[in-house]
Amino acid sequence: MTAREIPAGKVPTTEQRLDVLDLDSRLAKQAPQEIIASALEQFDNIAISFSGAEDVVLVDMAWKIDSDIQVFSLDTGRLHAETYQFIDRVRDHYGIQIDVLFPDSAQVQALVREKGLFSFYQDDHKECCGIRKIGPLRNKLLGLDAWITGQRRDQSPGTRAAIPVIQDDRAFARKGETLTKFNPLANWTSSQVWQYIRANNVPYNPLHDRGFISIGCEPCTRPVGPGQHEREGRWWWEEATMKECGLHAVNIERKP
Amino acid sequence: MKITLVKKILADGSPCKKCGEVERKMREAGHFDRMDEVLIADERDPASPGMLLAGELAVDRAPFFVVEERGKPPAVYTVYLKFVKEVLNQKTDEKDELKEILDNNPDLDFL
Repeated sequence: MTAREIPAGKVPTTEQRLDVLDLDSRLAKQAPQEIIASALEQFDNIAISFSGAEDVVLVDMAWKIDSDIQVFSLDTGRLHAETYQFIDRVRDHYGIQIDVLFPDSAQVQALVREKGLFSFYQDDHKECCGIRKIGPLRNKLLGLDAWITGQRRDQSPGTRAAIPVIQDDRAFARKGETLTKFNPLANWTSSQVWQYIRANNVPYNPLHDRGFISIGCEPCTRPVGPGQHEREGRWWWEEATMKECGLHAVNIERKP
Repeated sequence: MKITLVKKILADGSPCKKCGEVERKMREAGHFDRMDEVLIADERDPASPGMLLAGELAVDRAPFFVVEERGKPPAVYTVYLKFVKEVLNQKTDEKDELKEILDNNPDLDFL
C-alpha cells in the first residue's frame, strides 16, 4: 500500500503508518530523482520547500519530471538581497510560480517592539525563527498532504544524522490526518549536490561563491573558512546544545 | 479515550530534561491528571515499555503522547502544546507552540 491509498481526511491505521518505514527502506536506495518521482506519483497536493540555497536542485529535478510542480519559499523579511534576487531568478528560469510566504506582521511587530530587531543575539534564534519561519510554514503545511525538503544528513551530524528519506511528519499534520515529508537528498553529500548543479547548469545563489555554504537570514548567516563545517556559518554565537529529545534509533526496532 | 504519556531515561541513567519540563508544565496546568498511563522509555533497556511502544508506533523522540479511542487507530503527538490544543481542547499561545515545534525538531534548522 502506498501513502496515496490513504484516503484524504481518514486517520491512517497503524499498519498504514508503518508503511512509511517500508517506503523509506525502499526509497533510501534510490536516486533523488526517483524519490521525487515517487513522491509526485503518490501525492497531488505536494510542494517543495525552497530556501533559496543549494536546494534549488530539488526544483530542477522536480521540474524535469513535472513542470507544474508547486514550490514555496519562506520570506522572513531578513534574507540577503542576493537570496531575494535568486528566488526571482529561479522563478523566471523555470517559468514557475514560487509561493513566497510571509510571517504574521502582528507577531513580528510585537517581538520587535518588545525586544528589538536583533533579539536573537541576546536570547537565541528560536523565538524569532518560530515567528518568521515556523508559523508561516505551519500555515502552508496545513493545506498540503506532503512536502519535499532539501535536508541532508551531512548538513549537521548533530541534528540530521538520522534523517530518513520519507517520514510521517507529526509536528505539522492536520488534526487526525497525516502529512508526509520527503527528503530526497538525505543520502547525498554537499559534493554530490554541487556536481549536479554544475553538470546541469542549475542557477545558484551567488552567495555560495563568496564562502556561504548554508544560507539563511542575513544576520544569522556568515561565510565559513576552510575546514569549517557549514553549520558553523549559522547561529555561531550560540553554544552547541545537547539534543536529547531523540530516542536512539539503535534502540528502537520495528516490531515484526 | 485512553491517554498514555511516554517519557525517557537517557542512556546514562539521567532523566530527560525535556520530559521533566513537560511534566512540570502538565502538573501546573492540571493536565497530568488526564494521563491514564505513564510509560518509561529507558534507553538502556530496549525492552522497556516506552521503548517498545515507540518502536511499535515509529516514534523517534520523547516525550510523546498516545491517544487511543475505540474503533480508531492510535494518534501520536510529539508536540505537547499540539496535544493540549487538539486533545484536551484548551487554548495555547501560538508563540509557545511555534517555539516548542522548533525545540522538538532541531532538524528544522535547514529552513
